[in-house]
Amino acid sequence: MKNIILLIGFSISAQVLLAGGPWPQAKGDFYLKLSQWWVVFDQHYTDQGLLDPNITTGLHNTNFYAEYGLGSNLTAVVNAPIFSRNYSNNLVSNTTQDVLIAGEAINSVGDIDLAVKYSFATGKIPLSATLLFGLPTGKTNGGTQGNLQTGDGEFNQMISLDAGFGGGENVPWYVSASVGFNNRTNQFSDEIRGGLEAGLGLFNKRLWLNSRLQMVESLRNGATAETTTSTSIFANNSEYLSLGLEVNLNITDRMGVSASVAGALRGEIIAAAPSYSVGVFYTGK
Amino acid sequence: MKRIQHWQSIAIVLLLAVFAGCIKDDFIDDRVDPQLRIANKVDSLAINTSYQFEEVFFNNVGLAESAEVLWKSSDPAVVSITPTGLAEALAPGRALITLELDSNEKVLRDTVLVSVGETTVMQASSINGEIVTTSSYVLEGDFTLTEIDGNLELSLGDNYRATSALPGLFVYLTNNSNSIASAKEIAAVKVFSGAHSYTVENSSLSDYSYILYYCKPFNVKVGEGKIQ
Repeated sequence: MKNIILLIGFSISAQVLLAGGPWPQAKGDFYLKLSQWWVVFDQHYTDQGLLDPNITTGLHNTNFYAEYGLGSNLTAVVNAPIFSRNYSNNLVSNTTQDVLIAGEAINSVGDIDLAVKYSFATGKIPLSATLLFGLPTGKTNGGTQGNLQTGDGEFNQMISLDAGFGGGENVPWYVSASVGFNNRTNQFSDEIRGGLEAGLGLFNKRLWLNSRLQMVESLRNGATAETTTSTSIFANNSEYLSLGLEVNLNITDRMGVSASVAGALRGEIIAAAPSYSVGVFYTGK
Repeated sequence: MKRIQHWQSIAIVLLLAVFAGCIKDDFIDDRVDPQLRIANKVDSLAINTSYQFEEVFFNNVGLAESAEVLWKSSDPAVVSITPTGLAEALAPGRALITLELDSNEKVLRDTVLVSVGETTVMQASSINGEIVTTSSYVLEGDFTLTEIDGNLELSLGDNYRATSALPGLFVYLTNNSNSIASAKEIAAVKVFSGAHSYTVENSSLSDYSYILYYCKPFNVKVGEGKIQ
């Protein structure tokens, strides 16, 4: 089961801490991960769920992620984009080759997430609850158009419930499900979030494969988008259903590397391009 | 050895961070047909008066440029015109005034039929049209563009609708609906349904050929209305 716990940690993307699974870290155990996550998109899902083009925009995050077992049932989690870069390309005339609109970029710390996970049921189907605080530590209005962002500019509080189970001795596996409510401030709409995850350990648990289905539904009880200039993944009233795949390879007993890709199966007001992540992780006591 | 492996892995991640996210070029097809227009058309001229016609030329990306044009009159005995566009109303009748430019691509031409009578009458100073979406976002409605004392008033009709989901929607006047490079920004869109209007100072009907709705953050065209 410990391997399962570690793998759940790997699955945390740069943007959400939702798909965490119900398994806590043992007291004094920790898991660290340094990763690079990025998405580059030249089209987006409109409010009709259709695809429209846009200037090529990229968001690159260097993330530090950590879990620490405060007690046998309580785990502290931090997800910190310690370096976040948002940029847009130059818009160049095909006729004159002149730069019509110069590209821009901003660099800063991204929005930091702090969370605690409490495991309140063990057994065949363990359950846990997570309380997450999303701190608005990123930039919200960079560039001359004010549309470059490394954060959404709001302090959100999300509570989520996780359940899961696993098995297999030689070929371990697990599945987990989660549901959460994300209370957002600063006129952002609240969200219902959900996720399903499954993982499989191969080659004597040295290689883990997992897949993740994540859903975000906006309650549309905040301001509409015209009051903001945000694009990319920080726009208000964004919705999506995404599917992600991840590979984790344990190089040593304590250290490994991971790579993942995720993309939206449907979306509204959200980037329409796959996101990628590569990273290194370390576990210890 | 183990420590070296750790640092190698971390270095790879950091290198990815350093080299990620370089600004590149997106190319836009912004070629349009060049346009030549008589800027100040009249329906009639008062006899024995002179009138200075003016021309405007927009190149293949919609930018205003000076050009060597040719002015002609179909009946110089009624209305004569000089190479610089100075017309003289000489006798009662009608004459077709033609403005021409022989560009490399083709001959551009604009005309106006002028009557010579007792008074000078400018052409109608109002144009009606329709805003249509060119994207997946809702944008529609009728418009009227009216020239009033050297300014333009853009009035959207009761049937106007625009999405409120799109961030940073702006309205422009332009001669190239594919780009805002040479466009005149009117305002950020704050009204998303029903009649409303904008005033554009120091502009005339001949200055622009499109109303353009453009999303600034995405740098993408949302819709347009042709000024005909």
